[in-house]
Amino acid sequence: MSLNTISLSKMYPANHKTVFVLDHTPYFGISCENPIEFEFLKSRGPGCLPIPPFSKSLWTASFESAIEYCRIVWDLFPQGKLVRFIASDNLAHLINTWSPSQQHLGHITSMMSLIGVPPPVHASNTKMDYTVLHGMKAAIDALSEITDMQQEKMNSEGQTKLMNRCRVICITSARDDESMKRLEEIFLNGLVQQNKANAKSDRFLVIDHCHLVIINTFPVNVESQVSNHPPKNLSLILTTEVHSVKASMVPNKLSSLILQHYDLASTTVTGIPMKEEQNASSSANYDVEIYHTSTAHTAILKGNASDSAAIQTQKENHEYQTVTLKWCTPRGTTGSELHNCTSMYRITPVDVNSRPSLCLINFLLNGRSVMLEMPRKSGGKITSHLLAAHGGEIFIHTLCTARSVLEDPPSISEGCGGRVTDYRITDFGLLMKQNTLLPLKSNYLEKNVTPVAEMKSRLNRLTRYWPLTISSTLIFNLKMYIDPLPSIITKETITEEEVYQCKQIIRNLINLENKHEPLHPLNSGQRVKGQKRDEQYRTMWNELDMLIKNNLHTENHKSVHMCLLECHSFKDEKVELDDALRELDQIGPKKSEIDTQRASVIRATTDSPMSPPPLASIAVSLTSRSTGIYATPRSLLDIMNSQDKSKARPEFFGRSGDSLVAKLYPNLKTENDRGPRTEGMEVE
Amino acid sequence: MPTIILLDVSLSMTKPIETTENFETSPKQLAVLGINAFLDHVSANTKLEFISLMAFSSLYEEKSPFTRDYNAIKATLQNIDDYDKTCLETALHGVNQMVLGEWGNNTACQVVLVTDGSVGIGPMSLKESLTNLIHRSPNNPFPVPFSFPAKLHVVCLAHPNDMCLQRSKPLYQKLIDLSGYDGSISVPEQLNEVGVTSLFHKLAEDIYTSFKGTLKCGNLKSRIMLYPAPVHYTKVTDFDCQTYMVSETIDILGFISVNDIGSPMAVSRHLVLHGVQNIKDPMSMETEIDLTIDEDTNDESKTPSFCVLLHGALKVENMAALVSLGDNWFGFIYSWADTKKKSNLMLTLLVPGSDSVPWLGDLNYLGCTEQFEQCSSFPIRPSEKRSYSQNGVVWIRSAGLQSDIQKILRHARKLPEKTQQFYKELNRLRKAAISLGFLELLLALATIFEQECLSLPGNVHPDCAVQLHHAAEVLKKTQNQDAKFVITPYVANYNNL
Repeated sequence: MSLNTISLSKMYPANHKTVFVLDHTPYFGISCENPIEFEFLKSRGPGCLPIPPFSKSLWTASFESAIEYCRIVWDLFPQGKLVRFIASDNLAHLINTWSPSQQHLGHITSMMSLIGVPPPVHASNTKMDYTVLHGMKAAIDALSEITDMQQEKMNSEGQTKLMNRCRVICITSARDDESMKRLEEIFLNGLVQQNKANAKSDRFLVIDHCHLVIINTFPVNVESQVSNHPPKNLSLILTTEVHSVKASMVPNKLSSLILQHYDLASTTVTGIPMKEEQNASSSANYDVEIYHTSTAHTAILKGNASDSAAIQTQKENHEYQTVTLKWCTPRGTTGSELHNCTSMYRITPVDVNSRPSLCLINFLLNGRSVMLEMPRKSGGKITSHLLAAHGGEIFIHTLCTARSVLEDPPSISEGCGGRVTDYRITDFGLLMKQNTLLPLKSNYLEKNVTPVAEMKSRLNRLTRYWPLTISSTLIFNLKMYIDPLPSIITKETITEEEVYQCKQIIRNLINLENKHEPLHPLNSGQRVKGQKRDEQYRTMWNELDMLIKNNLHTENHKSVHMCLLECHSFKDEKVELDDALRELDQIGPKKSEIDTQRASVIRATTDSPMSPPPLASIAVSLTSRSTGIYATPRSLLDIMNSQDKSKARPEFFGRSGDSLVAKLYPNLKTENDRGPRTEGMEVE
Repeated sequence: MPTIILLDVSLSMTKPIETTENFETSPKQLAVLGINAFLDHVSANTKLEFISLMAFSSLYEEKSPFTRDYNAIKATLQNIDDYDKTCLETALHGVNQMVLGEWGNNTACQVVLVTDGSVGIGPMSLKESLTNLIHRSPNNPFPVPFSFPAKLHVVCLAHPNDMCLQRSKPLYQKLIDLSGYDGSISVPEQLNEVGVTSLFHKLAEDIYTSFKGTLKCGNLKSRIMLYPAPVHYTKVTDFDCQTYMVSETIDILGFISVNDIGSPMAVSRHLVLHGVQNIKDPMSMETEIDLTIDEDTNDESKTPSFCVLLHGALKVENMAALVSLGDNWFGFIYSWADTKKKSNLMLTLLVPGSDSVPWLGDLNYLGCTEQFEQCSSFPIRPSEKRSYSQNGVVWIRSAGLQSDIQKILRHARKLPEKTQQFYKELNRLRKAAISLGFLELLLALATIFEQECLSLPGNVHPDCAVQLHHAAEVLKKTQNQDAKFVITPYVANYNNL
């Protein structure tokens, strides 16, 4: 049960729906009696007459505090935290609805300018029924209305019952505790009545719980008879609290309330170097206070008690604490690495228009980021947070300051495949660039396959035949002969023109072969000196066949394959004995399905106890799919390299050659040439 | 996954037990024996797990910090005194503090509570703590759910049909439920040395299971292990609460430059290690590799691996791979270096959901230019600007109002060149004043303008005085106090003056 209580209050927070009920009765038209003074006017000469003192009205003071509350909410939570405004005089003025289109400051201020200042206190007005109760009644109606998010939740089946929890913040002025108590009771009564009606209706929701916050305000030169009371449960469905504050203190009161209502915390960034307004050559240090979700502090506040006590201070004239963290001048760009962020929240400056705030904001919006440091009692300091803007929004990132369980991890080069030095890193980098993700314009939203799912099948297609290392492929080292065939053949669909292009590439290769021109692999370090030209061609044809066979996506793809089969004759069964022996030597036990007897002959002659090392999983899966005897993803070079270890072989190689002159120790050179250090892995 | 062993050292742990062999022992003695067996199992199988020991009664004490030196813990176990009564709540607060201080709030840990099945009596007993859960104030929170992802394992050294244990079991279960992760309650089959030893062996086996899966990029794949093993994640948002698990197949969906990713919030981070056939902990390879150059390891390190290729390319291009971890759950794989020399493949788990990184947009709707025609670019900007980039009006502190007025006056002195700016700022201020019902400001501003006219130095353009006077007159007229009204410059023909 307790688990449910915790997650229910988390799942159905009161701050989803907030209604501000603002007193717009004639009383709120009176002055706060808190004259505004301008420093710049004082410095004028004695000849100037002082301007008559002026002050905000109670209405201005309460309304501007309320919209500041909204500004903070909507900066930090662009969606899902709804606020409505109701002004109450002789009737309730509904300023906005729950619709997201009306949940922004522009709408509220322009609607408020239509309502204007509270009506004047005239004799003729006394008969009118001016009271905040109209607004309270309208607020209860508003809370019963279903928001888009609630509707969406109600539509999705199989969910637990939706809880309609909400909050009303009423800024008004009451005579004494007695009348305040009456206001609370009337509200509760209205709530109960409304729930009775709601229970019968489909269009309205029963209010499961309402948090009523009443702020009683009055001009600064008046003493109020209304006393504060902390939250108390008036009933199961209503919790009320009363705060009685002077008009000048309403903004501060709302600041401390907003921190509770949305679970926010304050951070003061200290030591921001900023050029003086008057004197650009000197700079002074400033502080900027920001608000954000309180969990951004969890890691630093819950850890070391003495450290956290040292960074928390009471905010002047406010009822909350702020955590002071030091600005750390950024070195270079910080975006180039992925920081270990344990949390990330939007921020908003508390004093949005002050010069220091603007300075920090612009610094961040221009793409720079700032690290925040926390001093440690034990001496030294630690970088605990990162402030950065992403797409015009500023976030605070909590960096991991704790010890890592990944202490002393092994390097990737120590693990499986770590000693292989000829991975096709450049080629894979190219594949990555061709599959770099970007946001799509909205016209893909209606597709029934999500674009990322399409990307997955795309990657599948592009990697049908993709050797991992340079030494396990020949064709990908012959780019100048076969490009752009690999990139065309892996396409989902290919045009007639592209088919022609591919066929042309195949024909060119045939021509080269007929002219007895040797192929020059791109990575000259990989070139096998001892390799015969015709062997080179055979390996190339086999691999090319493998590539195309694995990419028979359409008829056009098939026609490329047909062309290959027509142009080059794969002499399957009609191999000469000598050739077969040689191939067996190269291919090793893979050939066993053809003739086990021959294989055993080879084995006996070479006296090699070693089978080639097991193929990588990818290669195995490819071989199993192929049928032809040449259809192995292992190139000649690959096989030869694997045979390097076998010291007993050179003499056999000489005997198997088709000419009488055989080069001695042909592998010796290879061994030296091997290891393309320039292309090597950068892992250490 | 770091482990805290939370050992009950209350007096009840010393009560004599007669084992089946007529041998007298106590829960405490059995506990020490069991923990030793647990440590032996760990040191034989997963050498590099961090383990700590905390003793508790009505208070708690950190007996051994997190360490890989299990012999140190064993030594400590020999010198544990007996104290008063069991008070679990205080100890669990201690656990929170110890873990947060050491590992922060997003490292998953195991809490192994070793007790005799009695939950204490009186106001600070577990029963009492759990009954008043709902009446907790924010200043006095209950320590569970823990401030970090935690699996709670309760080991009760009591007879399976002990009355006290029967009463405590539901309370322990409630505690585990509260923690939000799967835990366990274990009771030895026989309350003797053999029973306890095998219980602790089994516990060690159960809690140190590694995650094995496959990393795929189309047809290229590698068997992988994740270290530490990821735990499930429960995401609670307004109106929703869902639990997500990491699936065995991790699919690469595409690639994004590290610069574009920013540094999003991570649920956890895991090393992507090559899945090895033997069940030994991969971390222990590090110590073995240089010592034993055996034939098998050698061959394995020379067999090409997709992981190594991926790592190399990600590092060279400074990119990360976007991967799908399960249903609507995403992560990034990238090259990460602990020190300058040792580089590795790292997996960051994002918060579940396709909207977890606002500036990347919906992660389900990403694609590459070759496949999709209409691509925009990162970062995604929200449809509405935030207040700090809107130049809004906030006059709560008079400094804000003062700087807005001074700006208008600065423009006034530079008339007629700044006529446009002067009226633009004036109308902005006027509009804000009207919507705030701050009409007093309009009259005050009119007075300020009139005074400004009087104190203008002689060398300014005559237009200054004319426009200031004109603006003051318009401000004073109440019929102009309409938000839609716009003050326009006074058009004067100086030739006719």
